[in-house]
Amino acid sequence: MKIGSIKYLVKEAFKGAWANRLMSLASIGILVACMVVIGLAILISENVTMAVGNLEKENVVMVYMKDYNWALYSDKLELPDKPREGADKNGILEDDYVIHSDDEAKELCDKISALDNIDKVEFVSSEEGLESIKDDMDGQEDYFDFLNDEYGNPLSSAAKVTMKEMALFDKTIKQIEKIDGVDTIQSHGDLAEKIDALKQGIYMAGFWIIAILVVISLVIVSNTIRVTMYNRKLEISIMKAVGATDAFVRIPFVIEGMIIGIISAIISIGVLFFCYEVATEKIGVMLNGSVVSFADVALYLLLVFVAIGIFAGAIGSAIMISKYLKREGSEFAAI
Amino acid sequence: MSEELLEQFAESSFTAQPAIEFRGVSKTYISGTHALEDVNIRINKGEFVFVVGSSGAGKSTFMKLIMREEKANTGIINVNGFNLTKMPRKKVPLLRRTMGIVFQDFRLIPTMNVFDNVAFAMHVVGESGREVRREVSKALSLVGLGDKARSMPMQLSGGEQQRVGLARALVNAPELIIADEPTGNVDPNMSYEIVSLLTEINKRGTTVLMVTHDHNLVRDFKHRVIMLDSGRIVADNAAGGAE
Repeated sequence: MKIGSIKYLVKEAFKGAWANRLMSLASIGILVACMVVIGLAILISENVTMAVGNLEKENVVMVYMKDYNWALYSDKLELPDKPREGADKNGILEDDYVIHSDDEAKELCDKISALDNIDKVEFVSSEEGLESIKDDMDGQEDYFDFLNDEYGNPLSSAAKVTMKEMALFDKTIKQIEKIDGVDTIQSHGDLAEKIDALKQGIYMAGFWIIAILVVISLVIVSNTIRVTMYNRKLEISIMKAVGATDAFVRIPFVIEGMIIGIISAIISIGVLFFCYEVATEKIGVMLNGSVVSFADVALYLLLVFVAIGIFAGAIGSAIMISKYLKREGSEFAAI
Repeated sequence: MSEELLEQFAESSFTAQPAIEFRGVSKTYISGTHALEDVNIRINKGEFVFVVGSSGAGKSTFMKLIMREEKANTGIINVNGFNLTKMPRKKVPLLRRTMGIVFQDFRLIPTMNVFDNVAFAMHVVGESGREVRREVSKALSLVGLGDKARSMPMQLSGGEQQRVGLARALVNAPELIIADEPTGNVDPNMSYEIVSLLTEINKRGTTVLMVTHDHNLVRDFKHRVIMLDSGRIVADNAAGGAE
């Protein structure tokens, strides 16, 4: 196609959109409404993802190890009544437990780290564990000190594990359980499942909202183009009579649809920015300000809107004009 | 006619390149209406032909088949070197670029001035710039409207509007002009002017096919007359002048 033809077609598309401006404005209005709802769905989803991410980080799993303290205090290990040869003063043999030193405990931590779904592993010695409990039990430190002095530290060494994906929680727990030296795993599996279900639910809802609104956008643009097309019926008939190809007839309408889509995308981003700023100003306080910044997602949203606008504009008008050309494209010869 | 003979005819007629050739052409619509039956006709390049007949005689179908708006059920049609029987839909624009169409109701775009109405026909076939300006001016001068290029269609008389339609049909230098009752909406004096113009264009080598109901024009302009009735050619007067 010649450059002159392209220029002519683009000019015709703008002329079409302008000549049909009331209808174009109406469809821009509806498209903006659709895009703003799509944008809100994306923003809600982004915020939930961030919130879930924060929760996931806090959802720590404690992996306790079979070390000396475990052998001493765990009821899982049944010690014989008679003293055994080579046993220490507490009646425990080296073979009774698996982790004999902090180095071995750290090796176990490394084995956990090597698993697929592990984000972070932190070694917590029995002493650190006790300190941590004392911190949590504010005001009762003396009681714990007394227990420690009288009976010794009952806590075994542990690994503080953070996972990447809560969806893989159960699978990862099973993998950790299989590692030699692991005793018990203290976790909040229910919470993980709930978080995961919430995340999936929001993604699914977002997907369907977007899918439905994209279809609505498509129908809106199609109808606008249909009106333009009937207004320009005479021109189309003459075009066909003098030998314009179907593509040549179709292009101005497709471009017109795209223009409507792009204008809608630009307006939508402005409207959404205003709505989001107002909403986060009020809600953000409740959430301790932990909301996604609009600037971080603005470009992504604009791209999504422009893509939807171009898609709805181009496809919507192409469908309509093809239908028209098939049914009435040759009406020029109404002799 | 057998398929073999039809094929032979298609080959020979292609080499002879008549402007329009129908051989054994019949057309029946889905509704069951027999619009044309066994039509055989040859119109040579450079001829001027009037097509006459009452309403329902088959004139519309005859023209639609030439423009390939409809396809024949049987028979072979050649127009400007195109075998319409085998032509795929995507090649129809190429056929139509070899013809110029003049409508009874002018079909000028009311929002465009005279110049743009004529230029429109060039734009849609991919022409642009200087070429368009030169050819449109030439076509408007030929139909005597060189000074009305900036006028809007509504400011023109019926005769002038039809001359703009004629300029639009001519501007792409077609081999064949198809005029559908071009004088149907203009006064008698202007009718003579329009047909005179078409005759002038015909003398320059363009084939003209004109549908008309105006007996006076057919009588006064001595061109070939084809008469259709009930889907058949009932008269073909090469000398013209009488129906």
